[in-house]
Amino acid sequence: MADLRRSPLYDRHVDLGAKLAGFGGWEMPIEYAGRGVLAEHQAVRGAVGVFDVSHLGKAEVAGPGAADFVNACLTNDLGRIAPGQAQYTLCCDDNGGVVDDLIVYLFSADRVLLVPNAANNAEVVARLAAAAPPEITVTDRHTAYGVLAVQGPAAPELVAALGLPTDGAYMSYAEADWKGHPVIVCRSGYTGERGYELLPAWDDSPALWDALLAAGEPLGVSPAGLGARDTLRTEMGYPLHGQDLSPSISPVQARSGWAVGWAKERFWGRDALLAEREAGAARLLWGLRSTSRAIPRPHMAVTSAAGEPLGEVTSGTFSPTLREGIGLALLARGVAEGDTVNVDVRGRPSPMTVVRPPFVPSSPR
Amino acid sequence: MFPDDLKYTREHEWIRLTDSTARVGITAYAQEALGDIVFVSLPDVGTEVSAGDSFGEVESTKSVSELYAPAGGAVAARNEALTGAPELVNADPYGDGWLVEITVADASGLDGLLSADEYAEHVKEH
Repeated sequence: MADLRRSPLYDRHVDLGAKLAGFGGWEMPIEYAGRGVLAEHQAVRGAVGVFDVSHLGKAEVAGPGAADFVNACLTNDLGRIAPGQAQYTLCCDDNGGVVDDLIVYLFSADRVLLVPNAANNAEVVARLAAAAPPEITVTDRHTAYGVLAVQGPAAPELVAALGLPTDGAYMSYAEADWKGHPVIVCRSGYTGERGYELLPAWDDSPALWDALLAAGEPLGVSPAGLGARDTLRTEMGYPLHGQDLSPSISPVQARSGWAVGWAKERFWGRDALLAEREAGAARLLWGLRSTSRAIPRPHMAVTSAAGEPLGEVTSGTFSPTLREGIGLALLARGVAEGDTVNVDVRGRPSPMTVVRPPFVPSSPR
Repeated sequence: MFPDDLKYTREHEWIRLTDSTARVGITAYAQEALGDIVFVSLPDVGTEVSAGDSFGEVESTKSVSELYAPAGGAVAARNEALTGAPELVNADPYGDGWLVEITVADASGLDGLLSADEYAEHVKEH
């Protein structure tokens, strides 16, 4: 197995007693000593949490018409946003499977920054580079920027305390200055709370992390690991690539069609996705809410009350907010909201209710 | 971290033997590795278990760990407090976070249990 790569904040995580684990090829903090997933989750819902997500990919596409080129490849329509805004989009293959979901920062018509998932950065870069005309360059910039996510109701106050701009609209970003160092400040996140994703230069990340934790102390800030990131995003029903979206799970199935510019003439996977949308997806992503103490986990089989196979769980965890098991599952067409299904929890058929996420109220805007 | 007056299994349970009753829990190492425990599934009182049988589960936000009976016998008591407060296993794994008591009918498995020092060595190897 290849060596795990390390974030610029690796030493900080070790000092905080983090439990570290491999994630997408990177050694990242799962939870912190003396806190843990539940406390970190509650800090984000009730105050503010700071996540190191520097493992996320970064790639730059530059050259005349760079934005138009990206728009002809990825699913969402960059025509819906202007420079200074970011957009959630998908990189599909010709079959409509999802190679990755990612954020595009539109700097100008000639320059965009992509933030793919850590494990998929190289693949997204390779596909774009192979398709790019000679005047457009696609560059892997994985270690050009760190990424710190500041999330929670007190996030605006914390980011403002560092003198960074906080008044942008949801999914807009500013190229700001922090003590003479450039930082991109985007109103975005993966928790369902109001928040920001900060992109400092890779080497500036530790100083910014320290400043956030210090300034956040009176606000009840907590460092938050990838464990809490997963429970928070699952409560929102946000898909995770590799579980709820994948090369074998299309955006039509995952209800991510809102991130597809259906009217565009060109994007990867267009024909297959239009056909699937027209025909109706054979399976759809639903939320599951456990009605017992059982907790759904990925790959558990789901059956109807009568015992017919319906599909499988793609994400599942304990909801710290609801204090019960929740999950996402790809279920056969015909399943409806409010249905009771059975999840095979290690041999025990466990009843769960089919719901539409989010599981708890969402307030990212 | 590993009290001297307890015996241990390689599966990270501790056993306190009083006459023929074995109180069973999971070790500080095990609860730390699992993280926040959110659900504990235990057998009903009266259930007969054989040494080595899976008799329950401890589930955290991230993962599930099976519990294995260190000795054969009948379940004499289970820690009902864990239904409402599974976090007791994290907070006090050797005290209020105990799991079950077994009336030992077959003590043969007890000979293979580890001392605190042996268990500490076992953990270090992982």
